[in-house]
Amino acid sequence: MPQILGIDLGTTNSLIARLVDGKPRVIADPATGAALLPSVVAIAPDGAVHTGARAIELEPHLAARRDGAVSAVGFPGGAYGAVVRSVKRYMGLGGAELAPEDRARYAFADLSGPVVRFQIGDRTLTPPQISAELLRALKERAERATGDTVDRVVITVPAYFNDGQRQATKDAGRLAGLEVVRLVNEPTAAALAYGLGKLAEGKVAVYDFGGGTFDISILNVKGGIFEVLSTNGDTHLGGDDIDAAIVDWLLAGLPAEVIRDRHLWNSARSAAEAAKHHLTQATTAEITLEPRGHTIHKRLTRAELERLAEPLVARTITRCKLALADAKLAPAEIDAVVLVGGSTRMPIVRERVRELFAREPLCSIDPDEVVALGAAVQAGVLMGTQGDLLLLDVVALSLGIETMGGVMERLIHRNTTIPTSVTEMFTTAVDNQTHVDVHVVQGEREMAADCRSLARFKLGPLGAQPAGLPRIAVTFLIDANGILNVSARDERTGREHSVDVKPSYGLNDDEIERMLEEAIDLGEQDLEHRLLIVARNDAEQILAALAKQLGEYSHLIDAEERASVAVVAERLEAARMGEDRESISNLVEELNQLSTPFAGRIMDAAIKLALEKKSVEQVS
Amino acid sequence: MIECPSCGRRQHPRLLCESCAAPLGVELDCFAALGLSNKLALEPGALERVYHDLSRQIHPDRFAQAPVRARDASLRSTALLTRSYRTLRDPVTRGRYWLEMRGEKLSDDNKQVPPEIAEAVFEVQDQLACLRDAVRAGSPEVATMAGELEARRAALLSVMNGYQIALRGNFVLWDLGRSNAQELATELKLILSNIAYLTTLLRDVDFGLENLKAA
Repeated sequence: MPQILGIDLGTTNSLIARLVDGKPRVIADPATGAALLPSVVAIAPDGAVHTGARAIELEPHLAARRDGAVSAVGFPGGAYGAVVRSVKRYMGLGGAELAPEDRARYAFADLSGPVVRFQIGDRTLTPPQISAELLRALKERAERATGDTVDRVVITVPAYFNDGQRQATKDAGRLAGLEVVRLVNEPTAAALAYGLGKLAEGKVAVYDFGGGTFDISILNVKGGIFEVLSTNGDTHLGGDDIDAAIVDWLLAGLPAEVIRDRHLWNSARSAAEAAKHHLTQATTAEITLEPRGHTIHKRLTRAELERLAEPLVARTITRCKLALADAKLAPAEIDAVVLVGGSTRMPIVRERVRELFAREPLCSIDPDEVVALGAAVQAGVLMGTQGDLLLLDVVALSLGIETMGGVMERLIHRNTTIPTSVTEMFTTAVDNQTHVDVHVVQGEREMAADCRSLARFKLGPLGAQPAGLPRIAVTFLIDANGILNVSARDERTGREHSVDVKPSYGLNDDEIERMLEEAIDLGEQDLEHRLLIVARNDAEQILAALAKQLGEYSHLIDAEERASVAVVAERLEAARMGEDRESISNLVEELNQLSTPFAGRIMDAAIKLALEKKSVEQVS
Repeated sequence: MIECPSCGRRQHPRLLCESCAAPLGVELDCFAALGLSNKLALEPGALERVYHDLSRQIHPDRFAQAPVRARDASLRSTALLTRSYRTLRDPVTRGRYWLEMRGEKLSDDNKQVPPEIAEAVFEVQDQLACLRDAVRAGSPEVATMAGELEARRAALLSVMNGYQIALRGNFVLWDLGRSNAQELATELKLILSNIAYLTTLLRDVDFGLENLKAA
């Protein structure tokens, strides 16, 4: 049987690892030697898919039209591609659950349904489909590097992921043609990697601050048993949010329409990220942005960065205190603190963690790789090659049902070791009632409406019986993946009841089947053909933008300039029908340069107009 | 009689198959699940060892490559095992569970304060009310009153400790065969209901002290 591999499907980067002679090793891309696969997926207008570094290269070509009026990456109805970053933030969520900043980042086909759908050209794609592209890329990488087939994997998820987010991760695996043997919580995986080398034993706190999520887990590591005592976290708190805070600082004072320009926002985000990385060693970083003939130049000091990051880091510390309280431990009782995730490279993060636990945190294993390495160890446990190791993880969120008056009745408390089950008896409230409706929710609030809806199901049909006579025992079982399974039994007849559980969010089996059928591997298409399409798309974009600008801002261009632009535009118009990619690309570049002063004047005019408007508002 | 999903041997319900030691996936009471029938005075360390050893044998991670039926049995048995360990680990929930097994439910809706701690309940409530008023009025006596509340907390904790010892004593008597089920049930109901009241009371005191700190 082929080996089971471990995958860290991260917000910012993804990795795949395996055991070699009992030791976990990250599998690097055999072509480039890179261990990290940036979690970026580019979908070209023709449907071709690129991942990782290649997707980032394509970003400027695919990301947006060049007329500056665009506020999102994909467009309903248009033949435009998209570049999706941080897709993990969207996994398993319904449209109504999206944070405002996540909602503004992309164009969506439908935000009313149980699953988010990205609008990319005339296609719609769900987060599991996009994540599946990353998984497929990792699978191919591992197959090329090892020569073995990869069909079974362990995938890590944030400990604080809810049922829907876990299910979505499993769905992504299935769509990528992988059997997900186990989902493992990221901080637990990290503890495995450290514990294996006996680097961390006793009461261990794992502080996992990644690109998009934060987790804290407290474990008792003893004699090969890794028992999680408590966990806490925030699935929307990570390095992304620090970058966004830097972008806000960077663009502060600019008019809203300029800030809304996704091109500018994207380049500001990259610049912010680079500055943040630079400031882990240096104390100042210079940031220069040149949006259309305009220049923004600012100096970010480490002190300023720390002021921006402080409230976010403080939120992680609050979560740590809650986890300690749940484990009934004082910070001083922790024997080792382990740092995981790229954001723990920031000096301020280390400082705050050191303060809380009053000890030097461990970071001897690369914080970007440690989760994937732990996943590979867990894969070994599942294959039976890591004899005496065993993970006893917990469910991070309480599970309950909605009862009379909308109150949440807690059936399984948070931080209960999994797998676990509870059996609850249901009956009817009125004579001859044919069904009993059950609403399962997850969360810590008192009212069901304030918790997250997990699923609904109907018990029945029940024969005509007086109220209170039927006795149906429903077993809620949370498996080792942290996913709910429901079964029901009629206590009087002993018969198993079929339970048709309707998940409140996420994809159903039929949808996944259909997606599997539709998934034509376009990644195999001829590279040259794809590049031609990209170039044609670029040409179309710039020509459309230019035509629009020439109409709207004719007063900002003189006759001579207009004529020279028109000549190149005509040549490009002709070339884009042909097959010569190089000449299309050259002409796009030429036209771009030629029209840059014009575009700059348009931008300046927009800024001026906005500032005037603002000063009028201030006067009145 | 049930059949082992791994080797097919027919046997009475238990956690592990008597023949092949695979999990049987059947429901058992918490004591039987941990192989501790009829014992109440459990050492936390020993209990944890039993739990860890059994987990090593039956956890789904050990059956990831097994046939579906064996996998399913491992899942059910492990869910039972973790639930049982959680219930028996804490002497209070252990005592409550023992009562429930005998159909003797500790009534949660019993509004009557147990006489043994009635006095303490009224005094604490009075103290908390006075403290609230003093804080609101910005009275200089807040610090003294807070100190008194701290002292009260310590006193309550020592009473709680006494009940915990009494609980353990009753468990030991039972294990030695020195008390019958009826006697134990009566004792447990009294002690556990006092502990329940005391727990609520301590929570109120902690809450009062926390609010004071926040203010």
